[in-house]
Amino acid sequence: MLLAVLIANSEGNILVERFNGVPPEERLHWRSFLVKLGADNLRGVKNEELLVANHKSVYIVYTVLGDVSIFVVGKDEYDELALAEAIFVITAALKDVCGKPPTERLFLDKYGKICLCLDEIVWKGMLENTDKDRIKRLIRLKPPTEF
Amino acid sequence: MAESSGTTLMDLITSDGSSSKPPSASSTTAAPPIDSGANIMAPGPPVPMTVERRSKKGTLMQIQSDTISAAKAAFNPVRANIMPQKQRKKPVSYAQLARSIHELAASSDQKSSQRQLVHHVFPKLAVYNSVDPSLAPSLLMLDQQCEDRTVLRYVYYYLARILSDSGSQGLNPGGGIPTPNWDALADIDAGGGVTRADVVPRVVDRLSSEALNEEVEFHPRRLQALKALTYAPSSNLEILSKLYEIVFSILDKVAEPQKRKKGIFGTKGGDKESIIRGNLQYAALSALRRLPLDPGNPAFLHRAVQGVLFSDPVAVRHSLEILSELATKDPYAVAMALGKHVQPGGALQDVLHLHDVLARIALAKLCHTVSRARALDERPDVKSQFNSVLYQLLLDPSERVCFEAILCVLGKFDHMERSEERAAGWYRLSREILKLPDSPSVKDLSSEEKDAVPPKASKDKSSKIRRPQPLIKLVMRRLESSFRSFSRPVLHAAARVVQEMGKSRAAAFALGLQDIDEAAEVNTFSEKNDSYDPDINPTAPSEGIRRVPSISSGMGSKDTVASLLASLMEVVRTTVACECVYVRAMVIKALIWMQSPHDSFDELESIIASELSDPSWPATLLNDILLTLHARFKATPDMAVTLLEIARVFATKVPGKIDADVLQLLWKTCLVGAGPDGKHTALEAVTIVLDLPPPQPGSISGLTSIDKVSASDPKSALALQRLVQAAVWFLGENANYAASEYAWESATPPGTALMMLDADKMVAAASSRNPTLAGALTRLQRCAFSGSWEIRIIAAQALTTMAIRSGEPYRLQIYEFLHTLAQGGVQSQFSDMHTSNGEDQGASGTGLGSLISPMLKVLDEMYSAQDELIKEMRNHDNAKKEWTDEELKKLYETHERLLDLVSLFCYVPRAKYLPLGPTSAKLIDIYRTRHNISASTGLNDPAVATGISDLMYETSKSRVSDLIYETTKTKSAEPDDLDDDLVNFWAANLGDDGAPAMNRVNEFLAGAGTDAPDVEEENIISRPSMSYDDMWAKTLLETTEMEEYDARSSGSSSPDSIGSVETSISSHFGGMNYPSLFSSKPSSNVSSQSKERQSGSRYSAYEAPGSPIREEPPPYSSPDHQRYESFENPLAGSGSQSFEERRPSSSNPQFGSALYDFTAGGDDELNLTAGEELEIEDEVDGWFYVKKKRPGRDGKMAGLVPVLYVSTS
Repeated sequence: MLLAVLIANSEGNILVERFNGVPPEERLHWRSFLVKLGADNLRGVKNEELLVANHKSVYIVYTVLGDVSIFVVGKDEYDELALAEAIFVITAALKDVCGKPPTERLFLDKYGKICLCLDEIVWKGMLENTDKDRIKRLIRLKPPTEF
Repeated sequence: MAESSGTTLMDLITSDGSSSKPPSASSTTAAPPIDSGANIMAPGPPVPMTVERRSKKGTLMQIQSDTISAAKAAFNPVRANIMPQKQRKKPVSYAQLARSIHELAASSDQKSSQRQLVHHVFPKLAVYNSVDPSLAPSLLMLDQQCEDRTVLRYVYYYLARILSDSGSQGLNPGGGIPTPNWDALADIDAGGGVTRADVVPRVVDRLSSEALNEEVEFHPRRLQALKALTYAPSSNLEILSKLYEIVFSILDKVAEPQKRKKGIFGTKGGDKESIIRGNLQYAALSALRRLPLDPGNPAFLHRAVQGVLFSDPVAVRHSLEILSELATKDPYAVAMALGKHVQPGGALQDVLHLHDVLARIALAKLCHTVSRARALDERPDVKSQFNSVLYQLLLDPSERVCFEAILCVLGKFDHMERSEERAAGWYRLSREILKLPDSPSVKDLSSEEKDAVPPKASKDKSSKIRRPQPLIKLVMRRLESSFRSFSRPVLHAAARVVQEMGKSRAAAFALGLQDIDEAAEVNTFSEKNDSYDPDINPTAPSEGIRRVPSISSGMGSKDTVASLLASLMEVVRTTVACECVYVRAMVIKALIWMQSPHDSFDELESIIASELSDPSWPATLLNDILLTLHARFKATPDMAVTLLEIARVFATKVPGKIDADVLQLLWKTCLVGAGPDGKHTALEAVTIVLDLPPPQPGSISGLTSIDKVSASDPKSALALQRLVQAAVWFLGENANYAASEYAWESATPPGTALMMLDADKMVAAASSRNPTLAGALTRLQRCAFSGSWEIRIIAAQALTTMAIRSGEPYRLQIYEFLHTLAQGGVQSQFSDMHTSNGEDQGASGTGLGSLISPMLKVLDEMYSAQDELIKEMRNHDNAKKEWTDEELKKLYETHERLLDLVSLFCYVPRAKYLPLGPTSAKLIDIYRTRHNISASTGLNDPAVATGISDLMYETSKSRVSDLIYETTKTKSAEPDDLDDDLVNFWAANLGDDGAPAMNRVNEFLAGAGTDAPDVEEENIISRPSMSYDDMWAKTLLETTEMEEYDARSSGSSSPDSIGSVETSISSHFGGMNYPSLFSSKPSSNVSSQSKERQSGSRYSAYEAPGSPIREEPPPYSSPDHQRYESFENPLAGSGSQSFEERRPSSSNPQFGSALYDFTAGGDDELNLTAGEELEIEDEVDGWFYVKKKRPGRDGKMAGLVPVLYVSTS
């Protein structure tokens, strides 16, 4: 299960969060844990360099892209490498939507589209589409394979 | 943006610099700013976006009336009243956005309203991640009327949000900013409100009809409608069955394989029809994947199998995932249904080259499940086909897939795998050979799909790796290259794979699997068992795994498993240098798992020691490693001592960060698992903590030395102290177990022979008889004197536990020691013997007097009751009387009373424990049998009930049955199965609720733990340990219950009492007479004493020479007996010197009287008749040389008599 996707700005304010199968009372902990993890480790990290953490049997992969940091949390089949795949898809989609590693402003300007992208990437706790062109088509209400 | 800390996400979004907007500054002041950071910290009351400050209910009302009026407006297009200015106002509230949707949905001006929706309303609304049901009508209206694709995409997005279950209090299942609580909102005005229940059916109906719409123009919408439908709650059976219906009806039309060449993903060329088909296949399988599995349904399986052939790679992935899940339920059906897909050239072989990592992962799982299925034991051909595919995945270019394949080979599938499976996994990995089948599809695809497989890997495949290879070599090479990666997830995962390898290897060794000699050359394994020649039958189905004579020996290498492992571990160890602490933790876990019991663990220990010196380690990770030690122990109990040594590093290096409960549990389980030979060493390894010098605040020297305590801050110092307390408690609780010394173990009074000896000989004999117990006793005695106050308390309690559980002479030894401790006068003498821990221990005493008194009282009562019993028995024997029922009753009551008393201090097995000594067993049994009293009241034992002790936890049955055998010699009436029951009960108790640490360990072993992490730094200080704190609390409680003791001990608590120290020591340490025991308790047992004792009872052992039952204490000055040597150990140095001086000279003869009849056994011995007056000349080794006043019947005047038989006066 891909438990969470979370995108925060450089100050640790959460811009986007998508939880799957995480009870509401635990989300607060996850938020603060992830934000703290980012604050502790993401300084000076290159764009898209992947960092890893785990908590018990839950894996966390996170990175920085432009002004935003991206966290993905998963368990079972979504181990650190599967999460690395997922975060790769997310960063690719973000860059695609924003045209470059986003500034916070750019990210917010494209907020709606980004939400639609995430909707195509993570579907009920499972990674769905991984191809950025396909995602691009789907958020424009085009079929995954065009004729 | 820069000062966004005081603004909301909505502020951030709406404050964009688009031209037509007014400056955001004015508007941010208009609205109450909600910090998204504040939302993070406290997702308190929702509805943050309303402009006015009102009560919550008012706000809700406002939103509701806003939305409802807007909804009404929306349904009445005539009254449509578009206010474009509204959207310009920023930041916008949810209510404003909702109103805009209603208005724009009803707008006649499609173009502008669409623009508004796409650019302003929908993106901002996305902040909430969800919308309320009242928007559904407008959304549905847009869905019907609007043609703009982007608007429609958003509509599907929001309809899906409405369908998905929303949590209470406005918390969406998916997170995001809390939205108003729709249902509560609807309740306010049930008449006009729109609830989920109202709109969900309409939404479902609409989406369902769209999902079934076959018009070509509608195709993309159809896919999105189906997708949105899957968000409907699966708890609703009606919707669920509708969904199944839709999905299967689509699959009915598109799933059947076509004759034509199927389209290949990524290539343009398929005709429109087949593309639509492919898209529908994808959408249907994706939806099916989100629906609950239906294992018994043949249609489900059938469609999933067909999915493997679909052209869409994501569809193939979903079908494989479904199949791998189905395979865990019914592997036979899945394997049969897949049929020839698995054969060379089949669809599953094609998946090997599918450009979808997740699909290949699912393939690995599927192959693993089928190839290991018991249900397929009769189809080895099928199993080996799947196995072949699995082994080929070891060559996969993606690390994720390769690692999954390795884990599958190793037998790790979920957390439930059995150790046989893991052991077999290690066997497979270290023994089997991969031979790629010469499938044509490999070549074709690898040339065709340049995109799919990195070209380098394809080349590898087609050239080099074609030759048969031992799996272990492949895997080792792959792992070594992964460990050179710069990617942290890859490093982490690789270390995890090594850890799993270690688990399987440990299982293989634990099960004593034959033929896992790691020194054998890997290339030669197969030669013996090779059953058929590959050249004869090159396309044999099981080609992938057959064992072929090694062709790769041409490489000239003589690799053994051991050498391959050694080189891998070298790479693993260097990974400890990784910057990321999580990777390092995983590496350490891997090292722990790869450690075998007979290797030297110096390297591992020093790695851990130096790692722990790094303050950046989070407590949770350290505890994880501690739990790994648990797991490692469970796999290989032989490693108990090694693991304890490693655990010691944790105890000394990071006492403040580790969970003391978990550490204690590790101690305990290791101790239990160490076996008879290792128990002593195991106990030593634990208690070595006690020998550590106290932490020196501020010292940073020797950070990497594991023998130095690094508790540089007060927090850790405190934690260390707690740990030492825990160790002391542990020692007291388990010393008897480790030493296999139980008062109730033997039917003969253990002290009988020993008590005959001289005191110092007794101690010597005691320690030679049981060095473990003697060692523990010594340590505890030292702790009772030299530790901090808390530690002294625990030490005294631990000693009491030991006294109660041990036979003589240990009990007596402790009894005397406690006595001294209660007086406390000696403290000052010893305080400077040890490095002070900085605590002012005061000039006066141990301060433990009041605590120890109840403990002493229990022992007193036991001793005096024993005396009385012996006396009674003698009386009965002499008078040749049977015991009357009345007398037995009295005896039994005393027995029970003492049992209760003892049980308050520590756990003892009630059915066995005999506070009155072994002689009482027979009488108590008689009484029990006569009155039909079951001995199994032990389950109500307060100690058991409160879970204080689990002494017998996991005791091997053999030991228990030995014990039964021994005890049944004297207690035949006792039910034999009782002990097992008790043991089980304790074990179960421990596992179920008793120990939080146990839960943690079990959780860890089961791989649980998706709960959110705690980030509070304060939590890293170790919690007070449950068990010994409980005990502490209990003791405090009892102290008040048993208030009869007097406060004598306070007498020595003034500084000037030092002068009397020596006297009081000697009186106690020479204290065969227990001078003060009853001096202040005039009444209780005095009447029972009698000097007219009958001889003949060999059970007089419990009587110390000079019975405790004595009206008047002898004067302190009478230097009669010398038992002080027993305390040389704890009071080493100057302390014992002073006793030495007290050794009596034999110049002054003493007088005494014979207590019992004694028959001389040798020429130099003297017959005694009870009551005879004697003059004691000398004492040698437990014997008095005495002279009688007049010659006895045999005419002898002088000779040797046992000390015990003489009462000195």
